[in-house]
Amino acid sequence: MLRAFQRTFFPAAWLGWQVESNWTDPLIFFVFSALKPIASVMILVFMFNAVSRSGTDPALYAYIYLGNALYIYVGAIMAGTSYSILDDRERYRALKYLYIAPISIPVYLLGRAMARFMTGTLAVGITIAAGIVFFKVPIHPMRANWPMFFAALALGVLCLAAMGIILGSITLTLRSEPWFLGESVASALYLFSGAIFPITLLPATLQPIGFLMPMTYWLELMRRALLGSGSASFPTLAAYSNASLFGILAALTLGFGLLAFILHRLFDRIARDKGMIDAQSNF
Amino acid sequence: MDRGWRLFLRTIVARAYPRVVGQQRQRTWIFFETFLPFVAVSAYVFVYRALNAPADYIGFVVMGGAMTAFWLNIIWSMSAQMYWEKDNGNLALYIMAPNSLMAILLGMAIGGMFATSLRAAVILILGTWVFQVPFVVSSPAQLFAVFLLTMTALYGMGMLFASLFLLFGRDVWQMNTMLQEPVYFLSGFYFPVKSFGFAVALAASIVPMTLGMDAMRQLTFSSGPSIGFLRVRVEIAVLAVLSIVFITAAKYWLDRMERLAIQEGTLTDRRR
Amino acid sequence: MKPEFAIHTEHLGRIYKVRGNRREKRQLKERVALRDVNLQVPRGEFFGLLGPNGAGKTSLIKILVTLLAPTTGRALVAGHDVAKYPQSVRPLINMVSGGESSGYGLLTVRENLWLFAQFYGMDYRTTRTRIDELLEIVGLKDRANTKTSDLSTGLRQKMNIVRGFLTDPHVIFLDEPTLGLDVGASRDVRQFIRNWAAAKPERTVLLTTHYMAEADELCDRVAIINAGKVLDCDSPANLKRRLQREAIFHLEVSPLNGVVHGFEHLPGVRKFVHTPGDGKSELELILESDDAIGGVINTLTTHRARILNLQKREPTLEDVFVDLVGMSLAEAEKNG
Repeated sequence: MLRAFQRTFFPAAWLGWQVESNWTDPLIFFVFSALKPIASVMILVFMFNAVSRSGTDPALYAYIYLGNALYIYVGAIMAGTSYSILDDRERYRALKYLYIAPISIPVYLLGRAMARFMTGTLAVGITIAAGIVFFKVPIHPMRANWPMFFAALALGVLCLAAMGIILGSITLTLRSEPWFLGESVASALYLFSGAIFPITLLPATLQPIGFLMPMTYWLELMRRALLGSGSASFPTLAAYSNASLFGILAALTLGFGLLAFILHRLFDRIARDKGMIDAQSNF
Repeated sequence: MDRGWRLFLRTIVARAYPRVVGQQRQRTWIFFETFLPFVAVSAYVFVYRALNAPADYIGFVVMGGAMTAFWLNIIWSMSAQMYWEKDNGNLALYIMAPNSLMAILLGMAIGGMFATSLRAAVILILGTWVFQVPFVVSSPAQLFAVFLLTMTALYGMGMLFASLFLLFGRDVWQMNTMLQEPVYFLSGFYFPVKSFGFAVALAASIVPMTLGMDAMRQLTFSSGPSIGFLRVRVEIAVLAVLSIVFITAAKYWLDRMERLAIQEGTLTDRRR
Repeated sequence: MKPEFAIHTEHLGRIYKVRGNRREKRQLKERVALRDVNLQVPRGEFFGLLGPNGAGKTSLIKILVTLLAPTTGRALVAGHDVAKYPQSVRPLINMVSGGESSGYGLLTVRENLWLFAQFYGMDYRTTRTRIDELLEIVGLKDRANTKTSDLSTGLRQKMNIVRGFLTDPHVIFLDEPTLGLDVGASRDVRQFIRNWAAAKPERTVLLTTHYMAEADELCDRVAIINAGKVLDCDSPANLKRRLQREAIFHLEVSPLNGVVHGFEHLPGVRKFVHTPGDGKSELELILESDDAIGGVINTLTTHRARILNLQKREPTLEDVFVDLVGMSLAEAEKNG
């Protein structure tokens, strides 16, 4: 069992790294690791500056900045896993060979997700570093709770990978515009997971969606780890202790992991039923 | 068979057709090209709400969200289009036919503008209705002129990029990604460009969206004139100049690209 | 007055500048695609260009359809210089390339065809009539309103063929039009092209192919091209007649035991091609006369090779190619 896992996971992670980390091309490196994330965070910085007055809570600035920076992981891991399976099917035309190999596709996708996590980390790191150096985001690396940060990060990455496997499996059954699914879900969750504003600002009917999303708790934990007491001023999850947040996130990760397992089997059957394993989507 | 200006017009209409009719067939556009941008708009609206921003700022975001449809159309369906046409063999057929390549580009632009206006209108109407945006149009005539000139300059820029991007080959995807978020930022899709200060705002004005949206904000919101970068009349004049410059440059580069394609033999060859 | 030649080339040459690999420090190198090509194709002729992949066929077509400038020499199509007056050439020509997916997947077959007809300034009524006629002929009428993305490769290529012929070109260039098609679809395409050429005797067809039988079946004259040079040009019958004096044998032998290298020194053996197979080898031999086969058989039996099959046959264009190039088309492609 463990051997089968290793046989699939490590080659998949290695392959993903080879595909994603095009370090030999400085332009690609610059665009994806610096320009794109910095530009998107600058929009928020300037929105903040355009309307901030004396009464504006400066902690909100850190909230928005960090939420946006960490959300890069959602695009990289969750949406990225869905792209990986399409890349294999349509760009490299290799998915059919993976399917007939004695490997587990969810484990393979987990491996690809890990590679996306590694490349995403670079973009997150650059964005946060730029925040500290240029945009006065009140993060003090010496005061951050690093054990909590890494624990939350590990749990969050696992959960995002599980969500990525679900999306990837659904993607496999689509012929029309499947490339947009990952991006669409990531965009929709941007609104509901409290990434750049507290979810209590959402209409009451939409708030439950936010509370069901693991990202809501993950982002809160990550912010608490990096900002310390500075993050306490946001009322949304203030009543929850760190331990409760970890508990909820772990439970949701487990839930999404199980869901990934079940839904993968379901969509895998549909995909094979529809002959989609080596299909080409319409453009 | 028609020749001269009649062939030119026929070509424009024919190349606009897939944009106007064909693109509507992929029903998913309703979801991907209106609902998703609307979700992005909503996220930025809630940021302003979290910051207790004045109501007009919500309107800026809704307007910016609608205008993103045009920018996405410029980079993905204009700039990258000729490269894709090359990749599937259409470019060779275009060059070989007796029509003008400029008419092909104009057809692409006019078709794209029409189809995208539909998407932008849906986002604008939906955003205005959901977030109760307080529009106060001071001069409908000027607003119409600004919109028309912005579109002319913008699609002129798209036509120029379409020729230039033929040089980038497969890097076209990276180029487009590079032009997405950074332009959302520099052109002030969600905040007034005045915040940049004069020099940066002036540099950002090379993208027609910058002055176009600044002028439209001044003409449609009560607080608009106070946050405007330049006077609307000046912005109209600059947009007119940009329109001429981009369309002339597009014609120049297109001719150059065609010459280069024929001399080097690379631009129409998918196998090399 | 109409020009006598639909296609006329004089000392036509084309050199590509290609960047070398890292080891070569990415320096620009020259690759000769065409050298000193002189062709005269009279109006109304069905002309074939036969050669392996990479022989220069596509470069020649690209020059003739105004997509590529020649490096040396000149080319006239329908009486106009393709490099100097492309605008005069373009209304009179069209091209169909095999193995490509031009057109817009979101549009129907009819819409795609209408779109490309507009680029030639065709009016609505003529366009509609011709689309109907041509779709009927190629058997695509019932798919006229199907989205192109939903068509199979064969049907898409049929649409591509209709697109090329829709403008009723004076000169049509067909670049490997049956590439990637199955046997049935290839036969339909050949049938259509042959009928079109027969119905319009004043129109000229230039076909490039590496299928010998296709060239033999369709063309009035064939030019054999390899490594950018035209090696010979004549009717398929005349080309084959030149080998009439020779004797052509096909042998299947098992096993060959290394004897193959000695054949070229045998008396009376002009050319031979060896194709190793699974457990047996195939030999194509061009001999000066029937008598020479005795020496071949002797050599084989001395080396204890078993002759499974021996056949004397009529010359084909493949044999002409072997005679001119010294290797089979497949070998030329491998070496190319």
